[in-house]
Amino acid sequence: MSEISMNTATNGGIEGVNAQPQLREVPAVRMEAVYKHYGDFTALNEVDLKVAKGEKIVVCGPSGSGKSTLIRCINHIEKHDEGLIYVNGIELDHQRKNIDAVRRDTGMVFQSFNLFPHMTVLENCTLAPMTANGMTKAEAKDLAMHFLAKVRIPEQADKFPGQLSGGQQQRVAIARALCMRPKIMLFDEPTSALDPEMVKEVLETMKKLAEDGMTMLCVTHEMGFAREVADRIVFMNDGKVVEQAAPEAFFKQPKSERARTFLDQIIH
Amino acid sequence: MSHFSPTAAVNYFFNYFLMKGVLVTIGLTVAAVIGGLILGMGIALLRMSSNPALSGAARIYIWFFRGTPLLIQLVVIYSGLPQLGIKFSVITCALVGLILNEAAYLAEIVRSGFMAVSAGQREAAWALSLSPWTTFRRVTLPQAFQLMIPPLGNSINSLLKATSLASVISVEELMRRSDMLMQEHFQILEVYAAATAYYLILTSVWDAVQRRLEKHFGRSSAAKSRRAGARVPVAQTSVEASA
Repeated sequence: MSEISMNTATNGGIEGVNAQPQLREVPAVRMEAVYKHYGDFTALNEVDLKVAKGEKIVVCGPSGSGKSTLIRCINHIEKHDEGLIYVNGIELDHQRKNIDAVRRDTGMVFQSFNLFPHMTVLENCTLAPMTANGMTKAEAKDLAMHFLAKVRIPEQADKFPGQLSGGQQQRVAIARALCMRPKIMLFDEPTSALDPEMVKEVLETMKKLAEDGMTMLCVTHEMGFAREVADRIVFMNDGKVVEQAAPEAFFKQPKSERARTFLDQIIH
Repeated sequence: MSHFSPTAAVNYFFNYFLMKGVLVTIGLTVAAVIGGLILGMGIALLRMSSNPALSGAARIYIWFFRGTPLLIQLVVIYSGLPQLGIKFSVITCALVGLILNEAAYLAEIVRSGFMAVSAGQREAAWALSLSPWTTFRRVTLPQAFQLMIPPLGNSINSLLKATSLASVISVEELMRRSDMLMQEHFQILEVYAAATAYYLILTSVWDAVQRRLEKHFGRSSAAKSRRAGARVPVAQTSVEASA
């Protein structure tokens, strides 16, 4: 918590210049009129989104609605075509320097884990701290073991990803991202590739992270998780943010017709 | 003369003159692999370039050298180029021909290796703020290399035998020296039996090396087949990205 408030204090002055007067701190993410096209297909259609520090957002919506594209634009894994994206006050303007700075502030967990299969669990976790942050091997190992313990998997450190279950792999992926000490965590359908009995262990890990005050954006269909953890639900359809509401309100009384049919279809 | 003399064959096998030819064959192969890999990597990089001129040039190179016999390439370099005033020593001619030809095959192997590494691996590296160089050296290259080993092994096996074509431009490697012995003593079966034995030994040694390499670089993928709990998330990221 102290780390978060410290950041607010140091960034406050810079943001003061172009922030709206009522806004006291730099939002973790600010998107203004963001567009993303794939050929003729519009994946993001004038998306506006503001995420405060420490906020937990669940992005949901039907398949192809642009949810993944949305969070993949936040760390510039996808380039947005138009509009403004600020992450912790840094503008994502396709400049290398800014992209690097934003990627240092964000961690990402993928649907397909994307662990490096030729490295052990420990090597997966220490690679970035050592090469991108210049840590020594010993420092990186301590850090990695700390986070592997946090995701309750330290005993698997010397195994290869292929020797672990899907749930274990995804927890390693979370630990690997945390080793870069991100301020924002992006989850792109983290449980969609898992067998049902492994979904829980990953969601538990994410809940713990949320309790620690991490800013989180999760694309997920786990509505139980959304209800319990999210501060806000962002519902997308056809590349647009159709509705944003607290989980309570969203699940009880979705404003849009599209959200209502969506909820009818996924909640059995 | 209607008999085969095993003793003569064994004698040819231990013939010092022939053994030196074996060393030339090994030398040609090793040099052509190293040269071919370096040139082939470069051509593969050009081929994967988003610049149409560069990838087009690489494509034409590959099309040309894979589409013509190595024998013609060697003969043109050895006896055709002097007509244009370009003249190399015999051994240089053989090396140039073998490297240019091998590079075309290796470029395609290198390229397919890199293409087979999933996009998610690169995305994960970006998300972790790894530099492009670290991403290449620690993430993409090792995985691509692992995928390249089997086709690379085949290509090197073919190359080892293809060096015999250099005999046509009078490089005194194993084949040429066998011909020379044969013309001197006219014990055709005996001489070629010795040469055949050498080629078999060389290809078998390479097979063993290749198996060791596959085992060494495949240590993590051996475990992959035992994976439990993941519903094989193949290429889901790219599907999702284009959705």
